Amino acid sequence: MALSRNEIITRLRDILLSADERKRDIIENCTEDSRLTADLGFSSVSMLYMVIAIEEDMGIRFGDVGTNDFETLGDVVDYIEERQK
Amino acid sequence: MKTASSEIFRKYTDAETFSGITEYKTVSEMWEQCLAKWPDAAAIEDDGKTYSYSDLERDAAKLRTALAGCPTGTRVALLAANSYDFVKAYLAIVTSGCAAAVFPAHLPAEAVFGCCMMFGVSKLFYQPGFEEKLNILKQQRPDIECIATNAPYNEATPLRRCEPSAPCAIMFTGGTTGKSKGALLSNDAVMQGTINGCYGTPEVFNQRYLLVLPLSHVFGLIRNLMTSLYTGSTLFICRNNKDMFRDIAAFRPTIMVMVPALAEMALTLSKKFGRNMLGEDLKCIICGAAPVSPFLVSEYKKMGISLFPGYGLTESANLVSGNPESLTKPDSVGIPYPNQELKIVDGELWLKGRNMMDGYVGTEEPGAYSDGWFRTGDLARIDEDGFLYITGRIKEIILLPNGENVSPAEVEAHFNTLSFVQDSQVFEDRSALGEPILALEVVLRPTELTDMDDEARKAYATAELEKINRSLPGYWQVSKITIRDTDFQRSPAMKIVRYGHGAVKE
Repeated sequence: MALSRNEIITRLRDILLSADERKRDIIENCTEDSRLTADLGFSSVSMLYMVIAIEEDMGIRFGDVGTNDFETLGDVVDYIEERQK
Repeated sequence: MKTASSEIFRKYTDAETFSGITEYKTVSEMWEQCLAKWPDAAAIEDDGKTYSYSDLERDAAKLRTALAGCPTGTRVALLAANSYDFVKAYLAIVTSGCAAAVFPAHLPAEAVFGCCMMFGVSKLFYQPGFEEKLNILKQQRPDIECIATNAPYNEATPLRRCEPSAPCAIMFTGGTTGKSKGALLSNDAVMQGTINGCYGTPEVFNQRYLLVLPLSHVFGLIRNLMTSLYTGSTLFICRNNKDMFRDIAAFRPTIMVMVPALAEMALTLSKKFGRNMLGEDLKCIICGAAPVSPFLVSEYKKMGISLFPGYGLTESANLVSGNPESLTKPDSVGIPYPNQELKIVDGELWLKGRNMMDGYVGTEEPGAYSDGWFRTGDLARIDEDGFLYITGRIKEIILLPNGENVSPAEVEAHFNTLSFVQDSQVFEDRSALGEPILALEVVLRPTELTDMDDEARKAYATAELEKINRSLPGYWQVSKITIRDTDFQRSPAMKIVRYGHGAVKE
């Protein structure tokens, strides 16, 4: 069954927390408007981590994505929603 | 001054393996021996296909036809992503006695043209799909022949031997100033870099390598591809790093060459999903191109994987030293490899040796050498057991955790194209959580954007800078943009004093 946007955000928070516990404050308060690089400090490796972890966790496949493809966490949620259809 | 020998590495492997580590002077000589020893072994796995050593020679021999008659040392550009196409074209070039100018696959058309001019190339091999990147070159220099890696040559042209001093590869580097140029590596240097990959690990021959690093980087080209071929191993080419764990599960590598950021990521994912994501067959990780945390050594040991840190430069044809004692000396980058001469002058590591480049191509770099020694710009010390430690950097270039070298001046040049930017500085900053990030600070030109109030001016400038930022390659993008209210700290000669080079960030 497809996950709701809220459920996706919750799963994304878990994934981001597993990557860096030190970011707990920022990650627990992140929203769909949070910017991946400016607010969450994403690098190309963080992006790779997130994509791999989402694929493992949610059973979807990403196409060829780069750091430029998603500006905010909401963009990632949009992508996952689309892939779930 | 110390000159290393191979004997020091004897104890890290069995006698038979150690005796099999044979020195070759040229890639052609090595390749002839590979073909004699392992003609039917799998050399490359890529895109669902397996190519034996004989298959690879058959395909390289056809491409060598395009280079028949080229004098030794002719410079031939190679523009291809990690793929079998790259491997066969690279091998065709270097076993023709020519020098491969290896272009990063992400270069735009302007840079492809510029680099062809800078390196003085006569021909260019390209992977199908890269045609658009050749538009400017074809327009400006129609005399430079562009050859697709799938060009239909039916004839096989035999391999050509050359002198060890013959040029083999031109690899991109920022050097000590960060300005892009090429490091010219001889066959001798490349072969020393290749054999260095055989020392200090228990298993050497007939391994299964999985490639996740770009072949346009010496760590990918020499420690991964060349050492894999030298040892009769199989190299699986992971085309997209996001698929690396699926590829690992299918291919089951025994050895991987990684930058610390990737090794860290694999470790974190393994912990999150409660299983060894790198597979039970993996015994060894060669880790370098950025400082390696001792934490990685100890955590991987718990998983039964030996992680060996190393130190190297493009100018040294990859590895200068490797650490086979990473458990007892986790902070060290190891023992210098054979034929490596080194000394420490005023704290700075200076190098000489068979593996060293013959110089830069495309630009002069005053101060790169002193008395025939290459000055690395890295601060180092050596302990009583001969182990090397890198203690800092005196060069301006910023080394990111993922192993990418970023030249601040090169990135700043893009932002400086905006007329309202008077001065800019790209530097390594820390996020609120203490992580290294690239940041940009800008001083606006007082005479520009004068029709706006201060707030609107800053907002407009930030938005325009963001646009430029998003157009840059990922590893050049800054994570933070600040519009300064005051000028940068300046030297008596009015030059901006860089953060980390005398200036203190407020």
